[in-house]
Amino acid sequence: MRRVARIALLAIFGLMLAAEWIAPYPYDRQFRDQAHAAPSRGHLLGTDAIGRDRFARLLYGGRISLVLAPAAALVSVALALAIAVSATLAGGLWERAAMIAVDLVLALPWIFLLLAVRAILPLNTSPAVSAGVIFALLGSLGWAAPARILAAAVKSQLRSDYVLAARAAGCALPRLALVHVIPNLAPVTVAQFWVTAPVFLLSEANLSLLGLGIAEPMPSWGNLLRDLQNLPSLARQPWVAAPLVLLIVTLSCCHAAQPSVEDLR
Amino acid sequence: MRDFANIAARRLLLLLLTVAAVAVLSTLLVRLAPGFGMDERQLDLRLTGRSVAAIRARAAPDTWRCLTGWLRGDWGSSISLRQPVRELVSERAGITLRTLAAGLAIAWAASALLCLAGLWVHRTALDCALTLAAGGLLCLPAAVVAVLAMYFEAGPAWALALVLFPRVMRYARGILTAGWRRPHVLAARSRGVGPGALALRHVCLPAAPELLALAGISVSLAAGAVVPVEALCDSAGIGQLVWQAALARDLPVLVPLTMLAAAVTCAANLCADAGRVLVCRWV
Repeated sequence: MRRVARIALLAIFGLMLAAEWIAPYPYDRQFRDQAHAAPSRGHLLGTDAIGRDRFARLLYGGRISLVLAPAAALVSVALALAIAVSATLAGGLWERAAMIAVDLVLALPWIFLLLAVRAILPLNTSPAVSAGVIFALLGSLGWAAPARILAAAVKSQLRSDYVLAARAAGCALPRLALVHVIPNLAPVTVAQFWVTAPVFLLSEANLSLLGLGIAEPMPSWGNLLRDLQNLPSLARQPWVAAPLVLLIVTLSCCHAAQPSVEDLR
Repeated sequence: MRDFANIAARRLLLLLLTVAAVAVLSTLLVRLAPGFGMDERQLDLRLTGRSVAAIRARAAPDTWRCLTGWLRGDWGSSISLRQPVRELVSERAGITLRTLAAGLAIAWAASALLCLAGLWVHRTALDCALTLAAGGLLCLPAAVVAVLAMYFEAGPAWALALVLFPRVMRYARGILTAGWRRPHVLAARSRGVGPGALALRHVCLPAAPELLALAGISVSLAAGAVVPVEALCDSAGIGQLVWQAALARDLPVLVPLTMLAAAVTCAANLCADAGRVLVCRWV
């Protein structure tokens, strides 16, 4: 099951990365005489309200969502790892301050902050900048939960024999962190990455569906879902649901492909 | 009792720190926002210097006065709706509280019933169905669930319940399954204790501390999900107000509401922690 999910995920990822070669048109090209067109040989998933090819937008949108969400997750997990390792190894006041910061960030209402930050962006913000800002925000706000788990893992490692032996041999803290602690944290770190990336995909979809995500004309799976707001038309145009189906498949694959800790050891 | 006081004091401190952090962050956001401190009336040549200065002071209020104003309960006025924020919040708080209460109650009732039924019946088909339902719902963005609820005329409370259900059920199931496998439950079953007493007295009660912690987290989840749910279900609550304020770039509304949401989630976790300590003593 895990292997099937990983293959499916790789296939989706490859398809999105090859959007430039597979997509028949650029994502913002308009066919004004073919607005709301049904699927045909020219437009595999039909066209949207202003005549843009849905299939091309689905591929390009997937590329943005599938590249930026894991990138943001990577930033989050890297931040969490740095904070957890440095705070736990340093101990004392720094550790206490880091844990208070973790509690603080966990208590902050994410969506409210995201909406507030999105609201301060100037009206003339380019779509690429808006996409970057959204995912950078997600990346910088999502470190707290992984940091708490990683800090607990570092603490349990500090009690292990090999760390004690390294410390007894006079190993300096930076070397201890880089050579002995961080490599042994790989299973937990990778697991945290797999948990965080789907959460960011969902957050972007929520923000974009509310009209506060990535700006038009740049597509993302989130803003393609905005067509679903006209649900009664879905019975007549079921192909409109293609982004939702792909999002569900991708997220299901992400959940199913998560490696167990035993796998990573 | 000392444990209880320690936890309560720590949580209260965290609540104050969180609200203070949100206040500082929000003030920074307001100051960084484009157009801060500008009012087109400042360009009116007919106005005296004193009038222009008064307009400027109103458009760019002193940060310290803003922060102390929030503490005094003066939350400022909405730019887009031209109404005091406090008035807007008091008008809409009832709707949001009802939605939150109903959504949480439905999600918790459904999760508890299905988890206990799954444990009692112990059928693979039911287990698979629960896993698939929860997994499927976890893959749907809250906004899509809200659109579906709107289409089926289910209302915001059901949409919120559908968003919370898979998250609550996943953890509650783990907690209750671990409780079900304990030796004292096996002993009680072998003595013929009925399903109701077994579930309540032998499974749920010992698991109460963990379930209370989950309850605190579920309030935070609900506070986050209420924004897309109310916005897309057209429910005139605080969530919809936040969304409208974000679209209209109405930061004087967004800032106090973010603080309010932070305070509510911290207070919920404080109550859950306090309850956990009390239950631990009692159990």
